[in-house]
Amino acid sequence: MTAYIARRLVLLPIVAFGVTLLIFILLQLLSPAMRAALFVTDPRQLQALHEIIKTYQLDAPFHIQYWNWMKAVLTGNWGWSETARMPVLQAIKAFFPNTFELALFSFIPILLVGIWLGTLSAVHRDRIIDHVSRFFGISGYSLPTFIWGLFLLMLFYGHFRWFPPGRLSLEASLYVNSPEFRRFTGLLTVDALLNGQFWIFVDALRHLVLPVLTLTVHDTALLVRITRSSMLEVLRQDYVRTARSKGLAEPVVINKHARKNALIPVITLSSLLFVGLLGGVVITETVFEYPGIGRWGAAAALHLDIPAVAGFALFFATLTVLGNLVADILYAYVDPRIRLR
Amino acid sequence: MAKVAEKVPKKAVVVEPERVPISGVVWFVRRLTRNRLSLAGTVIILLFILVAILAPVLAPPPEGWRDPYMIPHEGYAPDPLPPSQAHPFGTTEQQFDIYYGVIWGTRTAFKVGIVVVGVSLLIGIVLGALAGYYGGRLDEALMRLVDIFYAFPSLVLAVVVVAILGQGLEKVMIALILVWWPTYSRLLRGEVLSVKERDFVEAARALGESDWRIILRHILPNTIYPVLVVASLDMGAVVLVAAALSFLGLGAPTGYADWGQLASFSRQYIIGVAGDPFQYWYTLFFPGLAIFLFVLGWNLLGDAFRDILDPRLRGTM
Amino acid sequence: MRRIIGGMVTLTLILSLVFLTGVPSSAQAVKNPDTFVLATIGDPETLDYAWAYDTASFEVIFNVYDTLIFYDGSRTDRFVPGLATQVPSVANGLISKDGRTYTFPIRQGVKFHDGTPLTPDDVAYSIRRFLWIDRAGGPSSLLLEPILGVTGTRDEKGNIKVTYSDLTRAVRVQGNNVVITLKEPFGPFLSIMAQWSYVVSRKWAAANGDWDGTRETMRKFNNPKKEDTAFFAKANGTGPFKLVRWDRAAREVVLERNDNYWRTPPKLKRVIIRTVEEAATRILMIKAGDADQIALSRRELPQVQGVEGVRIIDDLPQYLISPALFFTFEIDPTSPHIGSGKLDGNGIPPDFFKDVHVRRAFAYSFDYGAYLRDAYRGKGVVPKGPIPPGMLGYNPKQEYYTYNKEKAIAEFREAWGGRVWTTGFKLTVLYNAGNVPREIGARMLKENIEALNPKFKVDIRALPWPTYLAEMDAHKLPVFFIGWLADYPDPHNFAFHFLHSKGTFPFVQKYANPEMDKLVEQAKSEPDPKKREALYFKLVDMAYKEVPQLYLVSPVVFTVLRSWVKGYYYNPVHPGTYFYPISKG
Repeated sequence: MTAYIARRLVLLPIVAFGVTLLIFILLQLLSPAMRAALFVTDPRQLQALHEIIKTYQLDAPFHIQYWNWMKAVLTGNWGWSETARMPVLQAIKAFFPNTFELALFSFIPILLVGIWLGTLSAVHRDRIIDHVSRFFGISGYSLPTFIWGLFLLMLFYGHFRWFPPGRLSLEASLYVNSPEFRRFTGLLTVDALLNGQFWIFVDALRHLVLPVLTLTVHDTALLVRITRSSMLEVLRQDYVRTARSKGLAEPVVINKHARKNALIPVITLSSLLFVGLLGGVVITETVFEYPGIGRWGAAAALHLDIPAVAGFALFFATLTVLGNLVADILYAYVDPRIRLR
Repeated sequence: MAKVAEKVPKKAVVVEPERVPISGVVWFVRRLTRNRLSLAGTVIILLFILVAILAPVLAPPPEGWRDPYMIPHEGYAPDPLPPSQAHPFGTTEQQFDIYYGVIWGTRTAFKVGIVVVGVSLLIGIVLGALAGYYGGRLDEALMRLVDIFYAFPSLVLAVVVVAILGQGLEKVMIALILVWWPTYSRLLRGEVLSVKERDFVEAARALGESDWRIILRHILPNTIYPVLVVASLDMGAVVLVAAALSFLGLGAPTGYADWGQLASFSRQYIIGVAGDPFQYWYTLFFPGLAIFLFVLGWNLLGDAFRDILDPRLRGTM
Repeated sequence: MRRIIGGMVTLTLILSLVFLTGVPSSAQAVKNPDTFVLATIGDPETLDYAWAYDTASFEVIFNVYDTLIFYDGSRTDRFVPGLATQVPSVANGLISKDGRTYTFPIRQGVKFHDGTPLTPDDVAYSIRRFLWIDRAGGPSSLLLEPILGVTGTRDEKGNIKVTYSDLTRAVRVQGNNVVITLKEPFGPFLSIMAQWSYVVSRKWAAANGDWDGTRETMRKFNNPKKEDTAFFAKANGTGPFKLVRWDRAAREVVLERNDNYWRTPPKLKRVIIRTVEEAATRILMIKAGDADQIALSRRELPQVQGVEGVRIIDDLPQYLISPALFFTFEIDPTSPHIGSGKLDGNGIPPDFFKDVHVRRAFAYSFDYGAYLRDAYRGKGVVPKGPIPPGMLGYNPKQEYYTYNKEKAIAEFREAWGGRVWTTGFKLTVLYNAGNVPREIGARMLKENIEALNPKFKVDIRALPWPTYLAEMDAHKLPVFFIGWLADYPDPHNFAFHFLHSKGTFPFVQKYANPEMDKLVEQAKSEPDPKKREALYFKLVDMAYKEVPQLYLVSPVVFTVLRSWVKGYYYNPVHPGTYFYPISKG
């Protein structure tokens, strides 16, 4: 087991740098002039394009550029992100906690609602609740996120004015950025409580409602389906029938015996789900002007902000590999059949 | 989310390596139509196929129009017009006919879906079969390559690729293929691994059959079914991601018959004009409905395939 | 089971109640009465007055720093004193008789935001730094040209050709004055100063790692990287507002009132400039009163018209031609946009546009009226020349092309000895992605030309901005759209960049006409305004006949405010909102 984990951890840097190599290779398709154009905002600056190329060494051969970048990264200099107007590492530090917070607040409802509805659906198979939940499940899975997000924005901000876009309201934002507010975790909700400012906690929560609603639909639907099918299979097993015939009350049967085993695939999925959430927030963050890493990553890619894209890739690769590792460990731990691989 | 779905443990499907008899086809169709949901899925997809085939009849392009995939427009007036006799679904800004766009967009959706899923499938099958069958170094290399692609959030990878290659549907398809092929490789490799040691494969090997024949005649037919299930689910997922790319400004050019492109027009009209927030509802509703039904249909169909082809789950969906 | 149904019914009842009532929109009380919130579409690039060249950066800079002279209210032809106590003129002797020396008496008792006093030495330093920093693609050439007579501080090989003595000779401190000596007399000099002579504190710069103004240290402050200057994200000016912070993660700039401002301090206590990319969100913000002003495009304007509490000021002039259509005279043969590269019906040769008949044919194929009407909702003017309305040299009576199918066909028939008409051609028209008016222009051109002859094939393509600029630089775009906003309100800025062979656009187009060059130079230094106007009229007419470019629209702009905003005034030269006179309530 430990050998397995160790082996995977050794592979981590290989995969992480493999990702950045992939991105750099793709970026070689851009001419130096195109990469220089990132620094030029106006046609009157065109005559300076060549000077810019020289200043930023954009025409050096590929391996030199990659090697320079690698060296810098290993010493803690991840470069400068034009789109964020700050160093790449600083941008990651600034944006990631927001995305993490969003993912966390989405993850819990996804798990709770998904498992609850999925179990309910399996237990009351083919009855109304099953059909309704399956309908919501499959619809949620089929609706484009941006359409759903824009619709929510229109209804709950445009019409009702309840849940505005962005991360914080004006007053809260000013207070949070003043020296009176101490940041402990980077998560605004947690930090607000730790600072004793309950109103900021509420404000931060309020701005999370719509993004969470948008983000959770897709994955909740998925989880409902998986829980349901897993639960159904377990319910057919012999040991469940035995428990029933022994006269145990139905809720006990479900909660004590069936659910645990049904949740095996769900548990192993959860870390993957979480990482998937982190990656999948791009559209949601864009729609709601949420200052997270997904929005920055997409903007960087769109503007061909190379250091940002490479840094983002490296960061995410590491995260995903770790997430996969956790998933595999959980899976091996939870399912004894696999442990001895 | 195919990536996540595929981590759910599944045992290999057991089907004997024989030609599927005619009665098998009938059996298949009957299973498909037995359940209300799978029937719905089948009907939806069949309807879409019909619309795609009949596009030139349902929405004929104007005389001498160079490219039928470019939506015709009467003039360039900036405000969308509501549904009317001349434009049953209304028009977008610059007067693109939404009805025309939705009809021909069906062809675009199928094109994108089939190309992306088809090519990814092909790459995945070839690489996955080779890696699974031969194992060893080849397998390790492939799995690391898959890990590398997997480590990148798919939407951002797609955005990077399209941003580099330039806007356009072909570039979107290339980007999506790059994002999708790892799924099939890994899936197929897993299936090949579990089938590889089965009796009939041993038998074939003992009989001295060549590797190629073993792979093609014995292994592939037994491993392909779960992959086909994922493929049909992905037909819908691909269209969803392509629509998301259009929303971000990548994807088909303005005026092209593509649902995602049409839907992205509606972005600025979600608010509507003062006093009537729903004034331009049709700019979002019709393309949005098309995307939704298309994806829904494939999801239902994919689920139905899964029911039919996986006896373990038979009776559980 | 019953519980579930009961729960669902209750839920439905609640939802429908909520749906049917909503929040009634009534007249709102002023939100945040002492804070002004502006929701705009782009982040500043830098807050360095000598590095920046985009309006988003200057919107902040010009509220935090002061220049030596200001424009008088909304006028662009009259100045009032700023950090200088008098506006130099020949009449008050502060401009020498030969027109080359300008003396600016510096105001006393002015303090920087950090409390230190402003001295003439700071002024001299600020201007010298502006000249010296000369970052690639930056604004320094605007002052380098009139003051030192060079377009840059470096030659083609990158060697420095400007010395410290050059700087100290041209920009001197004399007692309480700062004296600037130009290479040659230059009429628009004061306009440039009004817009670009921001003053910073030399001591502060040195203390924060920037140039201390001496010869010894100057070398490394030439062409620095944007993020390496002290002024990038910090500011210490004399302006009506102080910079509190530029939060690049949250994409907002926060400014605070300067209570020690040398004029009456502003009424607003705080200004917040937020970058909000989604237009829908900006619209919602202004409707809700969460923003006091928003940036918006013409296309989106109807969504805020007639909304209670929102005021729109339209028909504001701007010294802008956008877009103009450009032909490339020598296209790079490797360009992917010229098809086969030959006049064989499947492409165009690289010198396709050298034939004036081709250019004229394109000119007659464009429907200027419909374009103005549909892409700009009629808000603007066809400038008929490279000089926008409101500027000296604009001739409303200039003859110009109109959409005329017969004339277009006639010109095409004559092009390239008739071959164009009989063989046909194929090319791509480019525009920058996301720009809808240019996209409409491209589509109009395409459809009108294709309607003339089935052998004419015109494709249109959107390129992302970096690619667009890179391909412009490489002369790969056969036909492209781009615009020009004035650096300063003088026709030379337009005439030079549009028509002079060393100007921005002819450089891209590979277009050069020595007669035009002579005329541009002559008009620049002509002191008599009447004669100058005549020269520009002549230039515009030459541009009409030779048609190296098509001048499509000079749009007017609008601004969207909450009605509780008071004191706002517009000047076409302002890079953004001047928050100084504004109050709410």
